[in-house]
Amino acid sequence: MMGAFCEKYLVMIMTAALGTVGYCLNVNIKRNKILYGCIGGVLSTFLYCVFAEAGLSLLMQNLIPAAVVTFYAEVLARMVKAPATVFLIPSIIPLVPGGKLYYTMRAIVDGEGSDAKIFAMETIVIAVGIAAGIVAVSLVFYHTSHKKVQFKVRFDAGQDAVPDCKARADKQ
Amino acid sequence: MGNEKSCEDPAQVMECALDMGETMLRCGAEILRVEETITRICTTYGGGIVDVFTILSLIILSWKTDAGENHTLTRRINPHSTNLNKLEDLNALSRYICEKRPPCSEITQRIREIMAPEERRIYKSKIAGYVLLASAFAIFFGGNLRDGLAAGIVAVLMYFWDYFFSSHNRNRVVYSLIMSIVAGVLCSLAVAAGIGQNLDKVMIGSIMLSIPGINLMNSLRDMMCGDIITGILRLAEALMVSVAIAAGFGIAIMMFGGVLR
Repeated sequence: MMGAFCEKYLVMIMTAALGTVGYCLNVNIKRNKILYGCIGGVLSTFLYCVFAEAGLSLLMQNLIPAAVVTFYAEVLARMVKAPATVFLIPSIIPLVPGGKLYYTMRAIVDGEGSDAKIFAMETIVIAVGIAAGIVAVSLVFYHTSHKKVQFKVRFDAGQDAVPDCKARADKQ
Repeated sequence: MGNEKSCEDPAQVMECALDMGETMLRCGAEILRVEETITRICTTYGGGIVDVFTILSLIILSWKTDAGENHTLTRRINPHSTNLNKLEDLNALSRYICEKRPPCSEITQRIREIMAPEERRIYKSKIAGYVLLASAFAIFFGGNLRDGLAAGIVAVLMYFWDYFFSSHNRNRVVYSLIMSIVAGVLCSLAVAAGIGQNLDKVMIGSIMLSIPGINLMNSLRDMMCGDIITGILRLAEALMVSVAIAAGFGIAIMMFGGVLR
């Protein structure tokens, strides 16, 4: 079981690691952060493989890895003090439905409407799965870490307008 | 505390804050991050009430200082190229500003250092990035080693295409379309020359080169934080770029597919 899994998916995981490094170089991520992105990419691919083998639906195959990787990126962002995007984008890259996008286009070019419809549906399902995974986890982090930021203070408690006017009057 | 804070000229502080905001936005920061940075810098230097409104191409900053003066500045943001490296530096700089309150001249100086235009030369690391990305994903999606090699060769050529042409364009959709046509033709030629075996895998590898991943991700994050307008703008751009990529490869297949099959 384990051996079969390795045989089937080892190439995928290794190429995902290499491809993620390539992507990091491509978008100018700092050299000392590339390793984190690479680990994230391997993590998402590994989970994708596990859930694909377990026979989950296409949506869940992409949603759960995306959610886990987002958690990883947000935690890392707080530890290393860098924007979460820096770790999140490379980690998500192996899940991106580039292959499905190609086959959709290919089916349209070849005039095979029913195939095109299936591939387009799958592309959208994968994209929605990734998006939902990211949003679900990010929302939790967003609401726990941004509680103290208040943009609007002008009319709170109704006392802010008074000191302002007073300050202006004093100045004049 | 009030006296200590009022030593900087508000106009200068706003200039600095807008510089920070603009550069961060151009490097690919989320709207929330930009607005928060600007708000924090202004409140660090002068307290008061700060109103910021940011979309993808505009920042409006209005600031009522503790002294009761109102200031407003608007800035148009030009088309940008994402650079996460610089974004990280800017993020660190904004942390530094809010902790240490350096003079405005120092902030301007440091922003200028970070945003100094890169030397225009051929970066080996970037070529390596292109090649790794394209060939690894050609194999990732089920190709064999020869497909990976073909995708790598196409990637090197695409790097030089980017190098010579990407600085002239303003419209990313049209640029992606043309770039994809070129990439598609190159892939077809690579397969026709017998380097690659499966056209689809080679092409998928090259598609990964131009996928608008950062835009999609930022649009998601923006919408999630409540900045629906910018989220929609970014999503629209990302979708249009994706369709342009697909269309470009489609055109290349239509031009060459019949000949080469």
